[in-house]
Amino acid sequence: MIDGTQIIDFHGHVGRWDRYGMLDEPALLLHAMDAAGIDRSCVFNIFHPDGTTGNDLTARFVAQHPDRFIGFVYVSPLLPATMLPELGRAIDQLHFAAIKLYPPYTPWPLNEAPWAPIYEFANARGLAVIFHTGPEPQSLPKFVGEIAPYYPNANFVVGHAGNTPIERAQAIAAAQAHPNVYLETCSTFRNPGVIEQLVTEVGADRVLFGSDLPLMDPRPQIGKIITARISDAAKRLVLGDNARRLLQIN
Amino acid sequence: MSTLNFKPRVAVFDANIRVGDRYDEPSPCRDRAALLREMDHHGIGRAVIYHAQTEEISPVEGNQFLDAWLGADDRLVAQWSIMPGAASQAQIETLHAQGRVSSVRLHDTGTAGLPFRPWAYDPLLHWLSAQRIPLWIPLPSMDADELVTTLQGHPGLITVLVGAHYVHHLLIRPLLTLLPNAHLELSRYEPIGEIEALRDEFGAERLLYGSWYSRYAMGPMLFYLHHTRLSDAELALVCAGNLERILGGVTA
Repeated sequence: MIDGTQIIDFHGHVGRWDRYGMLDEPALLLHAMDAAGIDRSCVFNIFHPDGTTGNDLTARFVAQHPDRFIGFVYVSPLLPATMLPELGRAIDQLHFAAIKLYPPYTPWPLNEAPWAPIYEFANARGLAVIFHTGPEPQSLPKFVGEIAPYYPNANFVVGHAGNTPIERAQAIAAAQAHPNVYLETCSTFRNPGVIEQLVTEVGADRVLFGSDLPLMDPRPQIGKIITARISDAAKRLVLGDNARRLLQIN
Repeated sequence: MSTLNFKPRVAVFDANIRVGDRYDEPSPCRDRAALLREMDHHGIGRAVIYHAQTEEISPVEGNQFLDAWLGADDRLVAQWSIMPGAASQAQIETLHAQGRVSSVRLHDTGTAGLPFRPWAYDPLLHWLSAQRIPLWIPLPSMDADELVTTLQGHPGLITVLVGAHYVHHLLIRPLLTLLPNAHLELSRYEPIGEIEALRDEFGAERLLYGSWYSRYAMGPMLFYLHHTRLSDAELALVCAGNLERILGGVTA
């Protein structure tokens, strides 16, 4: 909690990526979250294309601290037969709150047909879908702008807000064109002025704080928001109020 | 305790600010006054600065552009870039003779085929050691094996390793162990919990706050450092004291 606002990190991982120091040890995450004032982190496991293996790991992780972590379901069109059953299981039985997709782990740009059943599921359930986006040909934010109008009951979150300048411009254009497109802030590229640009050009009500924990420590990532030249009201929206609205958290 | 607004509670001396335009990236701060306003906004009192032109184009010409950013006060401290070669070394020797060198920054020659190997760099590093001039070394362009092999031949040389990223995670502990006079600048080092872990293993004396503005915003890492288990004394070292010690109290 920061100054009365519940802080929600919209982008986090379950799983180990040892060579980069990414360790999903709850104590490590909780210490960093507590030090920064982060109440809850949304987490997902993107390392298993069947979905089920990683989603079960996510569920076990969340179950250790259900008041601090929110599970998102991961599926991949690499195994199309398992996608819809796994989405249903994770949402209905594991009580996950949204969907995470990682196009670079597939050959298909996110606007191509193999992804469509996932979007239809999200649209039918009124769920949020967060994508990894960036300069990879599968992950261009402009593709989010192409799919968003066809699924008006779903909300689409452009993870990393495109990450780099050209792709960030695509992300902003997609959000400006479609009210169901949101931009999420985590990035290893902490260029000056980015948060201000997102808030100015898209609106504070469409920007979501994310950290990429535990690949990255959430403290410098939340520091981007806190030290940005935006109003306190905008900070409250970005840091938590928008996520609570999107995930329907009271 | 976090709040929606943050100011540092210790004096801050930024170890790594880039000024001026890169060929592909104009600086958001167009002059010294704008840079000082940005530093003031984030509570940064002083900074070591180098010119963007020295990164990929010319250390000699880029150093010449640095003069326009230096004022009569000591808020901005010059860091001159250097490479092996007569023109570059003569320039730095002249500046040193004028008492204007408190640190230098390594210009990447590896992409032009000159590796950071003893046969190529020993004369330069020997001179820096003899003059007690600390050397900033950007990690993104550096071969780790060359770094260790070459610097171990100059145990008295003080170095600051700049720009470590999470992709360098496996390297940092060996580097700090094998190079006892090396320090880690923290501008983009974000593996979870690692600043506190490195403090525990190597001491706060080995860590330096740097923003690497204008590549990165000034505030986020400063916020991070203020929300760790570092004591206020350790925080003061990381944010300013270590850099003051490394520069030897000399202001350029």
